[in-house]
Amino acid sequence: MRGDDGVGLWLAEWAEQRFADQLGVRVIADHQWTPELAEDVARAQSVLFIDCSLDTAPGSLHLKPVEPAAPGQGINTHHQNAAELLALANELYHSLPSNPQLLTIGAGSIEFGEAFSAAVSAALPEACRLIEETILQMLSAPPPDPAN
Amino acid sequence: MTQTITIDPVTRLEGHGKITIMLDSQGQVEDAHFHVTQVRGFEKFSEGRPFYEMPSLMARICGICPVSHLLASAKACEAIMAVRIPHTAAQLRRMLNMAQMVQSHALSFFHLSSPDLLLGMESDPVKRNIFGVAAARPDLGLAGIGLRRFGQHIIELLGTKRIHTGWVVPGGVTEALSAAHRDEILAMLPEAYANVKLALTAYKQIADSFSQEIEVFANFPSNYLGLINEDESIEFTDGALRLIDPTGAIIEDGMTASRFTEVIGEAVENYSYTKFVYYKPLGYPQGSYRVGPLPRLNIVKSMGTPQADKELAEFKQLAKGPIESSFHYHHARLVEALYGVENIERILTDPLILDKHVRATAGVNRLEGGGQIEAPRGTLNHHYKVDENGKITWANLVVATGHNNNAMNRGVLQSARAYVKDGKFTPGALNRVEAVIRAFDPCLSCSTHAFGQMPLVMTMVNADGEVVDQLIR
Repeated sequence: MRGDDGVGLWLAEWAEQRFADQLGVRVIADHQWTPELAEDVARAQSVLFIDCSLDTAPGSLHLKPVEPAAPGQGINTHHQNAAELLALANELYHSLPSNPQLLTIGAGSIEFGEAFSAAVSAALPEACRLIEETILQMLSAPPPDPAN
Repeated sequence: MTQTITIDPVTRLEGHGKITIMLDSQGQVEDAHFHVTQVRGFEKFSEGRPFYEMPSLMARICGICPVSHLLASAKACEAIMAVRIPHTAAQLRRMLNMAQMVQSHALSFFHLSSPDLLLGMESDPVKRNIFGVAAARPDLGLAGIGLRRFGQHIIELLGTKRIHTGWVVPGGVTEALSAAHRDEILAMLPEAYANVKLALTAYKQIADSFSQEIEVFANFPSNYLGLINEDESIEFTDGALRLIDPTGAIIEDGMTASRFTEVIGEAVENYSYTKFVYYKPLGYPQGSYRVGPLPRLNIVKSMGTPQADKELAEFKQLAKGPIESSFHYHHARLVEALYGVENIERILTDPLILDKHVRATAGVNRLEGGGQIEAPRGTLNHHYKVDENGKITWANLVVATGHNNNAMNRGVLQSARAYVKDGKFTPGALNRVEAVIRAFDPCLSCSTHAFGQMPLVMTMVNADGEVVDQLIR
């Protein structure tokens, strides 16, 4: 209902369909990243976070590694960002996925409405391609060495 | 010289708000306001929609308590349809409501308030968050996540989605409970019990160290409102409303949703978009009251489940009559969470819980209908009017934060007078004023989402509009 704010959810639901028959892929589509997701993050071998961003140009795509947030940065507690979820996973479960990635798509409008802006709509095919490519790379990566 | 302190926005609340503290010429607190600065407009833009769309539309109000709006809306629609939903549907909805209450109370206690309670009101604000709790008491951090997951997973099993489930519809629910899902929920119960009891034990160990806060955290006589059953046990999904006075005497009983607008009014103050709800026969503000966990426990004679009843008996030892300090909302929340787990277990043992008849159907049989339930943070009422085709012509939502608005403002003033001295504020004082609001666990509007950090800015401004001091974190 908030325009481009829903693009992360839309992309997650696309990924859920794309990898529906793929063992080892679990898609969690949520409106908010809440603290209990830290357990899912801790148990995963790899994680791809997907969200919209107000800090980047409308429709622009950015895929980058994400590191746990250092504790003590005035973090919100009713929802978390990717770095905070990683930090919480590490703090409570002493476990982190290897090479966690964050894909953001720049929001054009988050006013009330169910449609995406033109910029975000135009970026959806490339966003889907990036998600597919990243997940396939994660699946082909060797499992982490339990000794490390 | 008159001065104003503004705390903007208030952190660790669901949604956004700010606090303004006005000082007199001697630097003493003269008045204080809790502002809700967002406008949502759900009542207006639902006009013209078919009434049967309302539950799923209203669930979008909030990402934390969508189930509450879903249920209140469905009940309002059923009043328009003039139907009674099947027994099994009613039981499944009760379980859904309990699951949401448990996960919401877990969020409030473990993630929003436990940093204050476990680490201290004066502790380093940089560490006073869920990470600080996880470091200091990892067992409680895990318990909080466990209880959240328990509630969220039940919602997901029943409604296929954890947030904004469309499973509740006018007339009942769309799908019956499967035996596999029933067994999965039953298997989660032992851990849920353990997590609630861990929290209760931890809270009782530290509660006495907050005697000063208990004294000034919205601690005053007031009226209390909540749903109750005919046997005077606690109720969240059905029952009728009871209003009691500061001595515990019943002012009005048996208030059904159809009588809500007859007895409940909404006043407006120019500093907040949230209305101030009151009991009409007493007028405003004398008819103001509190809702939520503390009032619910003040109103009832029993919880109706054995373990929660023991906790209720202990809770009621805090005072001879109604318990007045809003600090005790925290304790009440945990008693209710225990009740929620017990009630889920009880519902699952209903011999008809797997029955497939879970939905009644009907068209428009009345042009007006109301629904009321207890949301985690207090009474929630939806009231709709429709035309002959079932299109919404008018909608009114009265939410818990509106019911508690007057009490929260009084609480902010009371705590500000206790902690802001001589025109000075310290981070500890600032946090305590905020913590009064957090005790009520208000939900301002989390579905609007907040992007990035929400810095806390407290500004002191003199009568000439000059900033004389500012605190940012």
